[in-house]
Amino acid sequence: MIDILGFLVSWLTLLGIYSILALSLNFESGVSGVTNFGKVLFYGVGAYVAAALSTYLLLAIYGIDTSETPPYDIKGIIALGHLSTRNPLVNLGLFALTLILAFLVAGALGYLLTYPILRVGPAFVGFTLLSSGELMRIFLQHYTPLGASKGLMAIPNPFAWVPVPRLREALFLAVVLSLLALVYLVLNRLVNSPFGRALKAVRDDEIAALCLGKHVPRIKATVLFIGSGFSGVAGALLAYYLTAVNPDMFVPAVTFNVWAMIILGGLGNLKGSLVGAAVFTLLDRLLTFVTPQIGLTVVSPDYIRWFAVGLLIVVLIIARPQGLLPEEPVKTPALEEALRAAGESSG
Amino acid sequence: MLPGYPYSILNSLQYFLFYLLFSVPLTLSYRTSKVLNFSHSNFIAYGMYTAIFLHGLAGNQSFLVAAIAAFLAGGSIALLNHLAVFRPLEQRRASPAFVMIASMGLWIMYNYLLYMLADVAHAFTMKNFISYGRIDYADIPDLRILDFTVDHSLLASLASATAFGTALYLLLMKTSLGRAMRAVADNPALAEISGIPREKVLRFTWFLCGGAAAVGGVLWTSFSGTITPASADAMILQVFAVSFIGGLVSLSRTILGALAISLAENVGIAALNTFFGIPTSFRPFITFVTLLTVLIVSPPLGAAGGLPYRFRRKVGGGR
Repeated sequence: MIDILGFLVSWLTLLGIYSILALSLNFESGVSGVTNFGKVLFYGVGAYVAAALSTYLLLAIYGIDTSETPPYDIKGIIALGHLSTRNPLVNLGLFALTLILAFLVAGALGYLLTYPILRVGPAFVGFTLLSSGELMRIFLQHYTPLGASKGLMAIPNPFAWVPVPRLREALFLAVVLSLLALVYLVLNRLVNSPFGRALKAVRDDEIAALCLGKHVPRIKATVLFIGSGFSGVAGALLAYYLTAVNPDMFVPAVTFNVWAMIILGGLGNLKGSLVGAAVFTLLDRLLTFVTPQIGLTVVSPDYIRWFAVGLLIVVLIIARPQGLLPEEPVKTPALEEALRAAGESSG
Repeated sequence: MLPGYPYSILNSLQYFLFYLLFSVPLTLSYRTSKVLNFSHSNFIAYGMYTAIFLHGLAGNQSFLVAAIAAFLAGGSIALLNHLAVFRPLEQRRASPAFVMIASMGLWIMYNYLLYMLADVAHAFTMKNFISYGRIDYADIPDLRILDFTVDHSLLASLASATAFGTALYLLLMKTSLGRAMRAVADNPALAEISGIPREKVLRFTWFLCGGAAAVGGVLWTSFSGTITPASADAMILQVFAVSFIGGLVSLSRTILGALAISLAENVGIAALNTFFGIPTSFRPFITFVTLLTVLIVSPPLGAAGGLPYRFRRKVGGGR
């Protein structure tokens, strides 16, 4: 018997997390023209901020000395397992606190990283961010307080105290989806605002935007702050969902996956990102359900999957660069009025 | 006395030669075609694996054979990329960001294709191609000077880098094809108006760049202890940082960049390790700090760069 409900819950949770990533990347790269190839950096920073803070603080709150039983140690993991079911308020409070901090830390990192890359073209921006992501991974692999290559485990899920596993997953899914809705509303509002028009101007012609008095460096820094902050939130949600993080989850391939989503959905179209994320996460989930059925083959299905992602990016860029849903004009009162007038005259 | 002497110095020299062979083609391809090619590391990786497949499947022992085969393989991939992807995009006047994303797609594609090829080769021979050992080529000897042994991979790298450097210098400076390449790099529109067949020049440049990087990959198989499909990606930070120091335009600055990065990495990490106990796996951080410093202090402006923003002076402020 195939567990349809379990499949749906796990798919929708992943969909929610990846949609937040795709939306923020589309906001940065599709709308504002910052070629962010380092999405995984901010995603990973968010995940590790949430993981480290929640585990260390949970131990500290119940008076356990983290210098003797660190959370990456087996004793710490067992202690965390017991403590995480004790007080719902502590869990929820930690969850809210780490979510906010993940946003701020990842956002601040994005803001700071715009300084070295402001004066160089998209080629350098993309590469600098890409290598920053790789450096984070190398750092995490060798930094013992964050669990080194084993990572952190037993991250207290905010609903760990709920005894029924199904209900626990459903509650978490509700949180993820409501955060996704919030991110979508915020970004949609930003894109369809005077600020959003300035962003598109910077993307299309930086010099023209500068000549019209737009402070391009500050705009880019703001964009990366917002985009990276939301990626940090997505990372924190991932950490709580999987209850474990390790450095090898944050390889550059994650960034490319999100890029493929927004290119498939349509650069500059936020709804498109949701569609792209849905298609990719659904395929991923189906693959994990189907792969064990195929059994051992010559070539790992993982390789074929990634090969297909690369091929899809290339084919889409050549054949359909606007994606499934092409970019829409910025919604302004003037445009709405003009459209209404056009509708009346023709009808 | 320098920390880690003499190995840090010898390694610096070896890495300098590698970075030269990897990064000069990258700079050359960017300045001629204006495509930042992320799939450059594929040329290196396919060069490595051409040598490995020849060694593991056909029992090849000759460096020369491997290098020629790799040159042809790398060059063909580069030419294919240009014809199938970059040229159509250019004809559509796609933005540089789109071209870059396309090259990133190619990078992922070729990367996992290589894993698949290694898997298939493994299925036929039961040899481990995913992690392959160092290859000892029969036609390059270890050189003994007094009581000092020059490793054969260093010898081969020296010979290859010198040959490549000389050939490139002669090509660019002494032949009409080289003059055409420089003209296309400086001003593509003007070059085309002057009757230079830009498309032919581009094809030739791509073939040359892909081939040269692949030969660098073959040299890597005679140096590194374990070669995996990800070996080339592990060096991509250094390779790109070297080219960035050259502003992706200047070949002589790229050579300086190769020298700077190889010294900073090998001597620098030895010093940090000796004096502060920092693990050697933190090497890439030195490269990254160098890269950030270059981007802040002397950002490459113009065609490859962006706008010269200044933060201290206000635009139109008091004098």
